[in-house]
Amino acid sequence: MEEPVRQKRIYLACFLFHFLLIVTISCRDTLWLVGHGLTILPPSFKSGAGKAHSVASVLLAQKLSTANPVRRAVLTYLHVAGIDRGYGYFAPNVPVSYKLVFELHYPDGRVDYEFPSANSGAAELRLASLLDEIGRTRHDRLREYLVKMLARSTWREHPDAITIRAIFGSRTLPTIDEFEHGSRESYEFLYAYDFSRGQESARPENH
Amino acid sequence: MKTWQKRLESFLFPAENDDWLACLRIGLGLQVVLYVLSLQVDWNYLFGGAGEGLNGRALSEGLLSTESPLVPRLGWLVVVGTHLGLSESTLLTIIWWALLSVGGSLIVGFLPRGCALTAWFLHLCAVKSGGLVSYGVDQFMTIGLFYLMLSPLPDRYSLDRWLRKRSPRHPEFLGFWRRVLQVHLCFIYFFGGLAKCLGSGWWDGSNLWRALIRPPFNVLPPEMLVHWRFLFPMAGILVCLLELAYPVLIWGRQTKIICLILVCLMHLMIGLAMGMYLFALVMIVLNLAALAPPFQWARRSTLCLS
Repeated sequence: MEEPVRQKRIYLACFLFHFLLIVTISCRDTLWLVGHGLTILPPSFKSGAGKAHSVASVLLAQKLSTANPVRRAVLTYLHVAGIDRGYGYFAPNVPVSYKLVFELHYPDGRVDYEFPSANSGAAELRLASLLDEIGRTRHDRLREYLVKMLARSTWREHPDAITIRAIFGSRTLPTIDEFEHGSRESYEFLYAYDFSRGQESARPENH
Repeated sequence: MKTWQKRLESFLFPAENDDWLACLRIGLGLQVVLYVLSLQVDWNYLFGGAGEGLNGRALSEGLLSTESPLVPRLGWLVVVGTHLGLSESTLLTIIWWALLSVGGSLIVGFLPRGCALTAWFLHLCAVKSGGLVSYGVDQFMTIGLFYLMLSPLPDRYSLDRWLRKRSPRHPEFLGFWRRVLQVHLCFIYFFGGLAKCLGSGWWDGSNLWRALIRPPFNVLPPEMLVHWRFLFPMAGILVCLLELAYPVLIWGRQTKIICLILVCLMHLMIGLAMGMYLFALVMIVLNLAALAPPFQWARRSTLCLS
């Protein structure tokens, strides 16, 4: 076979493989939204979408064991090519926003309030992603770990504080009509954690 | 069958000059430079360990290892650095400077392939190790840098071509790589638009309002936004339709330019109204590289020079 023809066929095969993965991941993510009833589609679509989502997961080798080399190879490729997730940003609807407040208690009885913050706007956007992750996770231990991670960095800046109470909640944003009638952003309590110096485990408190 | 094959071949391997590649190289170089500069003061905080940073790296890399141990991460570089006697903090600083340097080199086109490869690798390490603090811009930077390092560099506007008389190895695949970028953007917009169409809030404009007042994207005062409330439903539907129709619009000669202008305007508005400047820039760069017509002015000046 001539070299240019052979090369073109290799490129074509790579193209098909690459875009098959992109389409499968995008479909899987869209089906997940439908399967979880997050769209305007009627509930009758849920079961079908759930089944199709499973098929997409099989195609992406995600049903194989975590040590399976095929699964690992596919996942590695997805990550290095930047195609490991779909493109539904702010879709189907703009997600809930979260807020974390640290209540710092000092030995003299003083109490200060701090928010997790960064020095630049670009890093603030990234911290907002972390708060979204904390809010989204259903795993209590992971949530606690992430909150503790932020509490530790706050502690470094306030070494005199003896305990930190982390209060995590969701922001309720007003609709445009509510805003015009004077309603403003409100805050709904979700979880609280108490951290003490030298104490590894926190005392969680749920709403 | 033969006709089908020929059609596919002529679609995937069109004759193309390297103007688009120069656009992608310069744009992504600028993007990398702005990415590191925007995170300069928080670099060690975001990616550092328990000593001075958030220490989110440990969790991100642990989760990544359960998926695949072969995905690049900062932990690899930290281990190598430790063997060389470098502290984690020093190593993170070196990585920051390395990214800044390769970004600058990409802009001027000095050793573009090596710089594209290095930028892709170092940025990917940062993204994967900082998975908890990453967002959309990182995904699109990875996609752009991945295609850039595989494309036939150097392009004719790069310093490498002028100084070292280097030529790309497979210039016949310039059209192929531009096609890959175009098709990928089609899927990005189509599925993004489809997901938006499935949400009730994009049809009445309430999602636009929510997006604009949601911290930390609340750059514009809501009191000002209220005055423009009549625009929200129309703008919401326009965003959905534009994204959904993108895969159709970009193939027509006339509609392509209209589509490019509208999409770039949409991203510019997102950047300015929501403070997502880097996200806006990377999307505009990818769209310009994929859809912009050849640089007539540059060709004229090249001809004059020759």
